[in-house]
Amino acid sequence: MDGLNRRDFLKAGAVATSATAAACAYDYKVPQEEVLPYVVNPENVQPGLASYYASLCNGCATACGLVARNNDGRVVGVEGNPDHPTGPGLCTRGHFDLIGAYGPDRLAGPSENGATLSWADADKRMLDAVTAARAAGKTVAWLGRYRTGTAAALLDVLAAGGMRRVHWEPLGVETLLAASRAAFGVDELPVYELSSARTVVTFGFDFAESAFGSMGMRKGWAKAKNPAHDGFTARLVAIEPRLGSSSIGCDDWVSAAPGTEVQVAMALAKLCAATTAYAGPGASLLSSVDVNAACAASGIAEARLAEVAAMLTAAPSVVLPGGPGTQGADATALAVATLLCNVVLGNIGTSVQFGRGFRPGQVNSYADVKALLEEAAAGNLGVLFLDGVDLLHALPPATKAADALARVQLVVQLADELNDSSGANTLVLPTGSGLEQWSDASVESALHVLGQPAMVPLHDTRGLGDTLLALVKAAPAAGPASEPAPVVPVPAEGEAAAGEAAAVVAPAPPAFSIATAAAAAASFGDLVKSRWLALVMPAGADPAAWWADTQATGVSAGHPALTNVLWTAAALPAAGAASSGDRALVLFASHLGDGRWANVPWAQELPDSVSTFFWGAWAEIHPRTAESLGLGEKDLVKLETDHGHVTVGWFGAPTVREDTVALRMGNGKKTGRYAKGRGANAFSVLAGEADPASGALVLTSRVRISRAQGESGVHPLCGSMNQDGRTIAAVVNAADAVAHVEGEAQSIVPIHHLPTDPRVEAAGPVDMYPEPQHPTYRFSMVIDTNACNGCGACQVACAIENNTPFVGPDQLRKGRTMNWIRMDRFFEGDADHPDVRYLPALCQHCAHAPCEGVCPVLATYHNLDGLNAMIYNRCVGTRYCANNCPYTARRFNYHTWEWPESYHLMLNPDLSSREMGVMEKCTFCVQRVRTVKDSWRDQAFASREPGKPVVMEKHRVPDAALQRLTACAAACPSEAIEFGNWNETTSVVRKVGSSPRAYTLLGELNTKPGVRYMARVSHHAAPFGGGHGGGHGGGEDKHEAPAPGHGAEHKEG
Amino acid sequence: MSDKLTYAQVNRDIMRPLFSPTMAWHGLMALALLGLAIGGGCWAMQLVWGLGVAGYHPPVFWGVYITTFVFWIGIGHAGTLISAILFLTRSRWRTGIYRAAEAMTIFAVMTAALFPAIHVGRAWQAYWLFPYPNQRQLWQNFKSPLMWDVFAVSTYFTVSTVFFFIGLVPDIAAVRDNTRGYTHKIYSVMALGWRGTDRQWRHYMAAYGFFAAIATPLVLSVHSVVSWDFAMADTPGWHSTLFPPYFVAGAIFSGCAMVITLMLPLQKAFKLEAYIHTWHFEHLAKLCMFTGGILTYSYGCEYFIAWYSDNPYEWGTFSDRVVGKYWWVFGTMALCNCTIPLLWWFKKIRTSFMGLLLVSIVINIGMWFERYNIIVTSLAHSYDPAAWVYYTPTYIEIGILVGSFAWFFTWFLLFVKIMPAVAIAEIKETLRPPLKHDEEAAAK
Repeated sequence: MDGLNRRDFLKAGAVATSATAAACAYDYKVPQEEVLPYVVNPENVQPGLASYYASLCNGCATACGLVARNNDGRVVGVEGNPDHPTGPGLCTRGHFDLIGAYGPDRLAGPSENGATLSWADADKRMLDAVTAARAAGKTVAWLGRYRTGTAAALLDVLAAGGMRRVHWEPLGVETLLAASRAAFGVDELPVYELSSARTVVTFGFDFAESAFGSMGMRKGWAKAKNPAHDGFTARLVAIEPRLGSSSIGCDDWVSAAPGTEVQVAMALAKLCAATTAYAGPGASLLSSVDVNAACAASGIAEARLAEVAAMLTAAPSVVLPGGPGTQGADATALAVATLLCNVVLGNIGTSVQFGRGFRPGQVNSYADVKALLEEAAAGNLGVLFLDGVDLLHALPPATKAADALARVQLVVQLADELNDSSGANTLVLPTGSGLEQWSDASVESALHVLGQPAMVPLHDTRGLGDTLLALVKAAPAAGPASEPAPVVPVPAEGEAAAGEAAAVVAPAPPAFSIATAAAAAASFGDLVKSRWLALVMPAGADPAAWWADTQATGVSAGHPALTNVLWTAAALPAAGAASSGDRALVLFASHLGDGRWANVPWAQELPDSVSTFFWGAWAEIHPRTAESLGLGEKDLVKLETDHGHVTVGWFGAPTVREDTVALRMGNGKKTGRYAKGRGANAFSVLAGEADPASGALVLTSRVRISRAQGESGVHPLCGSMNQDGRTIAAVVNAADAVAHVEGEAQSIVPIHHLPTDPRVEAAGPVDMYPEPQHPTYRFSMVIDTNACNGCGACQVACAIENNTPFVGPDQLRKGRTMNWIRMDRFFEGDADHPDVRYLPALCQHCAHAPCEGVCPVLATYHNLDGLNAMIYNRCVGTRYCANNCPYTARRFNYHTWEWPESYHLMLNPDLSSREMGVMEKCTFCVQRVRTVKDSWRDQAFASREPGKPVVMEKHRVPDAALQRLTACAAACPSEAIEFGNWNETTSVVRKVGSSPRAYTLLGELNTKPGVRYMARVSHHAAPFGGGHGGGHGGGEDKHEAPAPGHGAEHKEG
Repeated sequence: MSDKLTYAQVNRDIMRPLFSPTMAWHGLMALALLGLAIGGGCWAMQLVWGLGVAGYHPPVFWGVYITTFVFWIGIGHAGTLISAILFLTRSRWRTGIYRAAEAMTIFAVMTAALFPAIHVGRAWQAYWLFPYPNQRQLWQNFKSPLMWDVFAVSTYFTVSTVFFFIGLVPDIAAVRDNTRGYTHKIYSVMALGWRGTDRQWRHYMAAYGFFAAIATPLVLSVHSVVSWDFAMADTPGWHSTLFPPYFVAGAIFSGCAMVITLMLPLQKAFKLEAYIHTWHFEHLAKLCMFTGGILTYSYGCEYFIAWYSDNPYEWGTFSDRVVGKYWWVFGTMALCNCTIPLLWWFKKIRTSFMGLLLVSIVINIGMWFERYNIIVTSLAHSYDPAAWVYYTPTYIEIGILVGSFAWFFTWFLLFVKIMPAVAIAEIKETLRPPLKHDEEAAAK
């Protein structure tokens, strides 16, 4: 110690202290970032403030409008375009498309065999191949998904120049189109207008999910089911072997033996014709129909069928065609038969509309694809453009498509990621996301949707349109392309008649040649603009103003006159032969669609609406069938057809027939980091046959089923199959619901759990603490479970808005979903009469929140706006709040969730981040609430009288600005979610939430939730206050007594 | 006490482990350190990778850690009960066992106190649970039962520790007088200048009585407060006014069983049969039989109330415990806590070494599963059936559970090595004091 004096000691001590302090201050969990300001601020860009672009959803052919939210250069959110006829609301596919734009597997640029090319080289390669093919007399062909608008017009030019063009999608519309042709001789699809139908009979049409045009149909259906809308509640009758997401909420499941649907539909038409005295041209088809035979074959009691016919004839109705589950070798015949039902019922022109030109552009069939592949197999295909279709995934191995593709000289794939069809002879030209390029679509003659780029491309990609333009420009002059007929939208009915008059007197638009315009256009965006100005713009409008306006709205919509169509079919279209096996096999599309979303982890993670399974493929088997096979919960099943077999996990679903097995499509891919090796490919067991009438791929088969070795990796997220006698998702009787549309005091929801005690009732609920003050706002939500079909759009929208991660199959198997909305799914009723109920469960923002009191560090509290707020930074992670939440609405960050860098660009910057070890939950999108409140407060301050204080209570955000503010409410395609200020007595949320159908979840706990649910309306539920409903679905048998406190003024019992 | 025992003999016998620990002690210590390494390693993994390495399956947000926390708090009950309450009631049979039981209490509470930190998501922020002045002006939520827990456990720990050290003073002085060198210095400090004068004894006994009086209510309060973590929550299966007495009875039940489990080998290993007698254990066994009876009655009460209330959530949880997927947990609990301890009604069993040891171990297992049963099954079967799950602990949780036992035994083994495990002074009180004429008689 001699060498150390006091000064040295102090110096050393100071150094050591600073070093320790510096070491402690460094937190490895906080990423070290640099913040750099703009040197020159771009015009109209305020960092942190979002810009909104109206654009086109590329999720499917339906072409809905969307509004993309661009924040600091990246699109971080999408919502339905309210100006579009199907807006607001955006289904899961639109959201998956946004996530897909940030996929980590996206190609950085054109590539061939793993090598990246420049666009110049890629174009040269492509054009040389085309030239060489032409020179060698080989075919140049285009095989892709449905395209409309300017891209389709360019394809017309190329087709005129000799390119063979096939548009096909695995879940396509070819049978429906063939049926329209056969039945009426028209070349368009019927528009099913469900909103006024009191009875809807479906033969498996997936009208709320995968069907073309589903957004419009599901909105119509939600209206038809809402007793407050038109004073009735529609009744859905499903005649199909498996209830899917569209029909799972049906009132009656009249399941016909698989393959007998055509007979049933014809028998139904005949029974209806007897009532409606139909004697039109279709009557000749009915004379030979034997109702008895149809009933005997299908196993439906004659009285039951007569009942359905009586329902159909009694009130406005609609009969919907078949869907994937009934797409057998007689699919077209079924579609024609359902059209005949509608003709007999007089629905044509009302609920079944023609004349709107409703079709997704050129539609080819699977038979056309097969013919093209045969040509390829013969070595006659020089260049094949593959646009968006993963051919080798979607085509059964029986078609030998892989060999055929290998024999094409060059396959040009227009895709952002490699897929199963990418081979050694494939040149991939990445097109970029729909949000990065110009596009347009028009699936009705008077409905045009503009797809504007909403951000700069992330990678070195070129839009599909620009690639087409390059092809057109390089092609030798091929004569004039067929001109699309000029289409002028007629103003909406509500608009002034003067507008119509003006449209009549306006001069015809100048002739527009797409080939000429293409030659002149510098880019596809220019071409879209010039085409829209020539063809879509009403005559006489100022082009600059109109274009600016159109860019703002993104849509040009009119109401074309409906045309009357006449029955022309003399007989049902021919049907193919059925295959053999013990049980019927049907395929169903879940969140992954036909496999398009298999590489989107959030889509893989979204629990299926029937089984709540995730990340995989599985079979749905009736519980009794499973029992007879001796299947254990974790067993694998082997499904074997004549053409292949798959081994998958299974789910005991009472929503499939005992003689039917349903197999999920979309998984079993060989490429894609999230898609690879997940379950089995459902298409691989198909024979690859086509329905002879339309050429559609037969999606049903016969199958032998047996137990296989091994343990199933699929697992439900939902704990219990049923509600265990509790009323979480309530149903009310339809007659009650129609009779009592308004007045909260008239509650008709039969919820009663706790035993009654007159003394307790007299005292009423007792609060130990005073109710929190909500001076200005009490933000509330009302969720109508009657409109909800468990589609999951709210969940995906929530994940995107609130940056909730996907956790992967292993973590999800432990139930550690980070999604703030849990979709409760319950099978009530018995195994023969399933009564499936959905309830999106989220934080209820209770006024007396059980979570708030128990947090030792006050990390969660109730704020003055009625929000149950969460301070992530204060959370220690005791998880007491989550235990004490009766709704299990809280999510815990068990790990530092990690995802590829590319998804960081999708993060919503308006949110706090949550580190490992803290709790999180639904915030009612507090960031959006704050934005609206702040902007309103700014306005109030700006407009205040000088010298006088602003009284915020007088400057409440108006209801219109709060409606559908949260991401889930904005996304719900059925518009089942309302959001607003409960304190505002005139608000929509208050009005809807005061309905007799409204109830609070677990209300007897007196948590005073800010979320209310509207009970589902069932035609079979027991009437409120005693009595028995007929048939199944009563569900509330245990609680039939009138519920005190819920129906004091409503004493029928 | 045997007439043959002299003060010097007592000193020799009881202090023997301090000076010549056996091979068994070294072996046990090595085992304990190994277990500690396992537990520490598991916790380190959990700190780095997150709580996800545990088996949590929402809504089971509390699992093995809270189960083990409550288990150790329960174990920590018997010591103060034996030393304070039995002191106040002048139950002389406490003499032979109270020192070790008190040490067990302190180490059990120290073990339990680890678990809130192990359990929370951000262990590095666990100190936020303590109210301390800070420039962010953050304060705690005194409505939260977890806050009450923090105070109940820390108070209990403080008072028990002070009480323990006060009881040690005369014995430490005895050790001091038998040591040399630096150990002598340490013991001298701990002995607080004890010389055994009359004046010191008078003050000492007064102080000891006061602390016994202060500690007594804590015996009842700490586990009542811990039970409020559950009883104050709205979870079916937790929300019950029965919990405080039920938990206290359970704690004494498990604590006394743990004393038996620990003291039986101690008695044999250090040849303390002269001081710790079979009738000590018989008394403890009787206490177990009494509290076990209360416990069994409480189980019955819970079920009766769940049925009688006609509350579907409550009954749903309780029936699920028996017939649901967790039937084996309930079964283990009922077998170990209600059925097997009935063997002690036979005097032959409750006075035999193996009979005492095996049943006491069974009770410890049963009491751990009781907490598992309460915590896990209630959370796994709450209000919304869509959220019902099945939780299975992972090897990390098992490792930390093992580590917690190792931590406890490390301290306990250190205790028997450095402190007299039986109260020397109190044993001497029971002996015939050495009188002058005895010495004279001996000299003749």
